[in-house]
Amino acid sequence: MAQPQGQMILRDPALFYWILIPITVVMILTGILRHYATILLQSTPKKQDLKSIREQRNLLRGIHLRTNSHHIPLSSLLHRKNYLVNAYQSGAFLKNPEAAGQPPANPMSDPAGMDQMMNMVKGNMAMIVPQTLIMGWINAFFSGFVILKLPFPLTIRFKSMLQTGVNTRDLDVRWVSSLSWYFLNLFGLRPVFTFLLGNDNAADQMAQQMQQMNNTSATANMFGPGQDPNKMFLAEAENLEVAAGQHEYVLDGIEDRILVGL
Amino acid sequence: MASALLSYFSQRSPSSSHTTPATILSLAQHAPSFLSSPAAARDTPETWLLYENLLLVCLRSQDDSSARLCLQRLSDRFGAANERVMALAGLFDEATAGSRADLEAILKRYEEILAEDPTNTPIHKRLISLLTHLNYPHRAISNLTTLVSNNPTDAESWAELSSLYFQQGLYPQSIFCLEEIILMYPNAYNIFARLGEVTYVHANNSKDNKDPTQTLTDSLKYYLRSIELCDDYLRGYYGTLVVTGKLLQVGKLAAVQDDDKSMTKGKVEKLQQLATRKLAEIVRRAKRKEKGWEGYAEAEVQAAAKLLEEIQGEQAPK
Repeated sequence: MAQPQGQMILRDPALFYWILIPITVVMILTGILRHYATILLQSTPKKQDLKSIREQRNLLRGIHLRTNSHHIPLSSLLHRKNYLVNAYQSGAFLKNPEAAGQPPANPMSDPAGMDQMMNMVKGNMAMIVPQTLIMGWINAFFSGFVILKLPFPLTIRFKSMLQTGVNTRDLDVRWVSSLSWYFLNLFGLRPVFTFLLGNDNAADQMAQQMQQMNNTSATANMFGPGQDPNKMFLAEAENLEVAAGQHEYVLDGIEDRILVGL
Repeated sequence: MASALLSYFSQRSPSSSHTTPATILSLAQHAPSFLSSPAAARDTPETWLLYENLLLVCLRSQDDSSARLCLQRLSDRFGAANERVMALAGLFDEATAGSRADLEAILKRYEEILAEDPTNTPIHKRLISLLTHLNYPHRAISNLTTLVSNNPTDAESWAELSSLYFQQGLYPQSIFCLEEIILMYPNAYNIFARLGEVTYVHANNSKDNKDPTQTLTDSLKYYLRSIELCDDYLRGYYGTLVVTGKLLQVGKLAAVQDDDKSMTKGKVEKLQQLATRKLAEIVRRAKRKEKGWEGYAEAEVQAAAKLLEEIQGEQAPK
């Protein structure tokens, strides 16, 4: 029996044209379809009313003050800090002051949160459905044979996954069925999509997954469902108090720096 | 054709002060041919931006028919209820209005739109600029304060508020607004230069006969910061030169530094020499159009040359 290091199976070159290329072409086409379907399905962002804008932007103002406090004189900083801390603590910017003590809005009941969740769900649907369909199609039409020899070796465990439908004991794991060609394409077609659809395309499932994992409280999600604005204001007020204690005005001693530098 | 226009507009907006009337006229002459070309029908964001800039340029050169065509295409594409399109339509009406009564009618229209939808920021800004134009500074300021209390992160609004306060002579308030911009963009050297200017004017116009030394020193420090952030900033060196001259003239400067806030006479003199040297270098190189020094605006270079001559004239008899 042929040993691992030289297992050769003669293949009909027509396999190449009838299996590898069609699978790739179908995947590219469904990727493009998925991209446009996602764009069309997304609802237009809802316009926020005045009070929400005011709430968000005034919190941002506090953050800017804290970040760049060294660029304004101490008197200006204290003046602004006192005003903002008072306003935050009295809830002057809150959208609905009565809801101050209550737990944050449930995404199910809050309409703004609903929107965001629906968009996420639609995006996921648009990804899962084509994937399932294509896998089913491949299993139906392209099973029962090996098509490809992987250039890198793998362990025995992968046999069951990559050689579905070909129940042998000794066949090298490097010979794989068409389903694994599907998986290879899934990850490898990303540059092709980037070339065809531009950088920001919805056919790119890897980027989407990374985005979801890394979505820490970025500004977009800051006022999403589940965040209590009052708590955020109070936290910012405390941060401002702390920051005001250390102030190094950037213009102090500037004449010395200039005279030395130029 | 379209690419030439696009490349020009991408460098500077047509409303920037660096765009000379001659440039505006030459750009506006391209407008009719561009509008009838197939490049104008492409549906990319760049094309629409080009339309907006072209609209501004045509209005400035009084080419109303091309401007109307631009506006028509913009509103066909984005709908007349789009905020930005509404603001551009308002701008067009203001520019082509015949009399003061027409302008007042437009004012009323803006107020009605805002009453329905208070978040329409472009229209709010148009309202404020029309109020300023019609000479209602108090209404303009109160509208603008509402705008910034709702949108405190908009640098443009703070800048406009600062210039309105400046016109009214309320210098501390003007400085406050400029500081708000610094808090958002700490490296904006042009805002530091503006702070220097406002503080200088404040020092010169202080009502009580207070000693202007501290204010002049603050002004100088603002200018120094703008130079620190941008090595070849003509406006910064110009300001430094003027303020150091004034400080040496009227300020009470100690010989030795006693605290962080004041400067010694020696330092101010050195700064004056530095500013003179650098300004002379800029003027010389910009006039000769050396490579790397062509970016300076003609008018600024001439003003700097004039200042240098005046100062040399003053110093010569000594």
